[in-house]
This record gives sequence, C-alpha cells and structure tokens, in this order.
Amino acid sequence: MALVLGIESSCDETAAALVDGDRRIVAQRIASQDEEHAPYGGVVPEIAARAHADRLAPLIAAVLEEADVTLDQCDAIAATAGPGLIGGVMVGLVSAKALAMASGKPLLAINHLEGHALSPRLADPALEFPYLLLLVSGGHCQLLLVEGVGEYRRLATTIDDALGEAFDKTAKLLGLGYPGGPAVEKLAREGDPKAVPLPRPLVGSKEPHFSFAGLKSAVLRAVESGEHADADIAAGFQQAAVDCLLDRTRRALDRIDTPPALVVAGGVAANQTVRGALEGLAAEHDMRFVAPPLPLCTDNAAMIAWAGIERLPLGQFDPLDVAARPRWPLDPEAEAVRGAGVKA
Amino acid sequence: MRTLVIDSATEACSVALFEGRELIAHEHHVLGRGHAERLVPMIAHLPERGRAGRIAVSRGPGSFTGVRVGIAAARALALAWNAGLVGYATHAMIAAMARAERGAQPVAVCTRGGHGEWFCAQYDAEGRELFAPASLKPEYAAASLSAALVAGGEAETLVERRGAGMAMALWPDARGFAHLNPEALTSDVAAIYGRAPDAKPVAARERT
Ligand SMILES: Nc1ncnc2c1ncn2[C@@H]1O[C@H](COP(=O)(O)OP(=O)(O)O)[C@@H](O)[C@H]1O
Repeated sequence: MALVLGIESSCDETAAALVDGDRRIVAQRIASQDEEHAPYGGVVPEIAARAHADRLAPLIAAVLEEADVTLDQCDAIAATAGPGLIGGVMVGLVSAKALAMASGKPLLAINHLEGHALSPRLADPALEFPYLLLLVSGGHCQLLLVEGVGEYRRLATTIDDALGEAFDKTAKLLGLGYPGGPAVEKLAREGDPKAVPLPRPLVGSKEPHFSFAGLKSAVLRAVESGEHADADIAAGFQQAAVDCLLDRTRRALDRIDTPPALVVAGGVAANQTVRGALEGLAAEHDMRFVAPPLPLCTDNAAMIAWAGIERLPLGQFDPLDVAARPRWPLDPEAEAVRGAGVKA
Repeated sequence: MRTLVIDSATEACSVALFEGRELIAHEHHVLGRGHAERLVPMIAHLPERGRAGRIAVSRGPGSFTGVRVGIAAARALALAWNAGLVGYATHAMIAAMARAERGAQPVAVCTRGGHGEWFCAQYDAEGRELFAPASLKPEYAAASLSAALVAGGEAETLVERRGAGMAMALWPDARGFAHLNPEALTSDVAAIYGRAPDAKPVAARERT
C-alpha cells in the first residue's frame, strides 16, 4: 500500500506526517510557533524560518521512529513548495529534496492550498469529487470548486484581508491576544450580535468575492467610540463575518451546478457559529456538509502527505531543482482580483 | 571514512566528497541566489550521490537563507543515511583556506553582513578561534581585527580602512575542509546567524 512522508513549513507550524493509501495517519508531529510570534501580534517571517530550521529534522526523525518506518518503505516524499513564507517553505522543501535524493524516492512539491483542498477526503472516504470548498484561514479566504486531483476552479477570493486575519485583528483591538480567533468566539458568546451596527462588505454584489477590510475598520471605530461593550463588538463582528460568508457562498452556488457537498476547511472552520451557519446553508441546498476534524483544518503535514497519496497515481513527480513559490494560485485560470494581492 | 562537505552559507555554494583526507570530487559556484534549487542536484552529481558516513556543514554566518539551506540538507541527509553530522563556522573555513595558501599565520576574516555591517572573526596560526564570528560596524571591525592577513569578501575594504595588512578575497569552498583545524568542528549544527531577525510581522496578504 502506498505510503507518503509529508512535510509542512509554509507559515508558523512545523510539521511532518506519514499517511498511507488507506487514509491512515500512521504518525504525525506538529510544532506550533505561536509563542515565538505572540509578542509581535503576527507571524514574523525570519523568526518562523529559524524555528522551522531548528525543529523540522527532529520532527521527521520522530515521525519515522514512531511509525517504525524507514524512508525505503515510503513511496514518495511530499513537501509544501508554496504558497507561503518563502524562508520556511525552503527549509521544508530542501529537506524533502535531500531525503528524496538520498533514498532514491520521488519528490512531490505540493501546493499548500491543494493540501487544504484535498484534506477533507483524507477524513471522509465517502467524499467524492466534485465539492464546493470554503477555505477560511489566517492567510486565505477562497471558494474553490474541487473537481478532481489537480482540477480546481477558484470561484471567489478575498480582495483584501483573509477572515482569520480579521478575527486576529479584532482580537488585537479588543486586547485579546494572538491567535485571536478562539478568543473572539468565546467573548462573542456573551454579547449581543445586533447591538453594534457593523457593515457586511460586498454582500449583494455580483461577483462572489470577499472583503473584510471595511469590517475591520468599523470594528476599530466601534472600539474607539467607547460606546460599546467588548462582548457586543465581538458578537457583532462574528455575525457580520458569518453573514458575509453565507451571502458570498450562496452567490457562488448560483453560478455552478450545485455539487453534492459543501466542505469547510482552514483555521476559521473551528468557529462553531461559522460551522452552524454553513451547515444550515448546505441543508438549504440539499448538500452534504463536511467539516474535517479540527487538526486537519489548520496547517498540518498529514494533508500534504495525503495530497501526495492522491497525486501518486498521476506520476507527476518534481525534479530536485524545483523552486519554492511564495505565490502559487491553485487555479491558474482564475482572473486576478484587484486587491487580492498574492492570495488570489 | 567518507565525508560529504556542504558549504552554502554565503553567495558561494559548494560541495566536496572526501575519502579520509583525500578529495574525491567537488563542485563550487558563486551563485548569489538559488542555493535551494542548486544544492541538492550538486550533491546528487557526486559519486554515489554523495553518500557518506559523515556530513560536515557550514553553520554560517552568511546569508540567512543560504545557512538554512545547507543545514536543512545536511540534517536530512544525515537522517536518511544514518550518517554522523558536524558543523563549522564559515569564517573558520575561510581562514583555513587562507592559511593553506599563504602559510601558517594568524588570519582575520571579514565578510559582508547585513545593514552595512560585516561578519568578522579572527583565528591564530593553527586555526584556533581567537574571536568568534560577530556582526560589526566597519569602524569597529577595523579596530578589532589585528591579524596582518585578512581573508573574505570584505577583506580588501577592511585592509584599506585599516591602512595595513594583506587582503585575500576568498569565497568559502567545501574543498578547504581538509585544512580545517579539527577543533573547528562541532557536533552542534545549529545555525550561526550572526544577527537577530528583523522582527516585523507580515500582513497575511503578503504571506501567501
Ligand atoms: N474559533 C475560531 N474562530 C475564528 N477564527 C479562528 C478560530 N480558531 C482559529 N481561528 C483563526 O484561524 C487562523 C489560523 O488558521 P490556519 O488554518 O492555521 O491559518 P493560516 O495558516 O493561514 O494562518 C487564525 O487567523 C485564527 O484566528
């Protein structure tokens, strides 16, 4: 049975995992850098790259040891080759190249977004192509129609901030610390989502794209006005974000033949209000709702190894001189969206 | 025992394969950029794909990326081959190469750092470290480096500034490994960056 070693180092998580063709995560290790970056209120690229360089090799060794597996038993070495913070991506990709070269195994340079896009199939054997994927994380906010391995149609992206980023900034404004998503969600439970009038950027607009910069500015003004309770601001922000997600996802569904499943992935998928709302939307459209277990939603290496498993039958391996790509859209056909920057 | 030497910490990128102290094969390029693409194929071109019982790697200082690329490759190879792993400082290698060419004598080493600073170190006639690589402003470098022979990318500028001594513009080369003082080898291969990171968080937008 196929067995792939996966490596992830594109943001602030260093991770390695072994996954087999039976959807078994044979072993995995993940080291978060939250502590290193917390004082800066965001990810510092050079600090991230240094931490990846210190931690990755021992993590890989630990994964192989725990699984009692040698590289000879692997069918390929898969590593995130972008998009992401280039310094960290290089650490993972060069390590993978060296492992592949030394063991004579093929190298798979994986698009991190493809990892997210395919990870629901690792958790759910019944999930077939096509499905509509809402990817909502600290770096991304996209709607992708996943039609097959390597076949992704980007229906929408954010024209400014990612939703996780907006959660983090809201948390910062409310003095809640980093990463802010879970803290905002917790505080929102005690607030009234209707108490603070906040905008729903792009809601009703024709293209299904997202925008959260205006919402973030409105949160800033609400905080500065001193007129609102923090919990009401948190609840109002979260509700506005959910309303945007629902409206934009509906708009995207208008444009395609309704696929059988709606899948949510990315760190923001941890949010119960977001999940609940999307579940309702799926039911409205007679779609199955799939939300992979949380550890698979956020950055991890099992999804990279799994993307490798899915790619193996295509036989498209990468040469040892393949370059890391800080920007790498999953759908090369997608039109550039003004303001979407590199996330598009 | 075979030793694979990897030196990608500076603009130069080189690999060398030794059997004992005898050089079997090597490759050296001054790349500037692109170490992450070139290094592993360079190793793959060596006899038996560079397979060795021991790997020696430059820990820096140099370019942050180059340092990491070399160490990441070395650690992964050591894992794959179950090989030993040792590290050395870029500056110790440059000093060893200078001694090999000009005879045993104290050597100051001066290379380009970041933000207008230089990475400086000094070694005695046997290659023992007198002071460890540090990032210095050029004026301090001139005052701190006393050896007449100065090697490295900024050697000429330093000698000019100091008004005395002899400059050798040298890039580190893995082939120089045979000249390293064994004391320069450490079992710790953690990077020597020489400078703290620029601590500016990225907007997620620029990240991906
Ligand atoms: N319960 C939650 N509610 C809202 N956002 C959350 C929650 N948990 C995590 N997040 C957000 O998810 C993001 C991290 O997710 P991840 O998939 O690791 O993203 P990335 O790697 O792109 O930063 C952060 O922005 C974080 O605030």
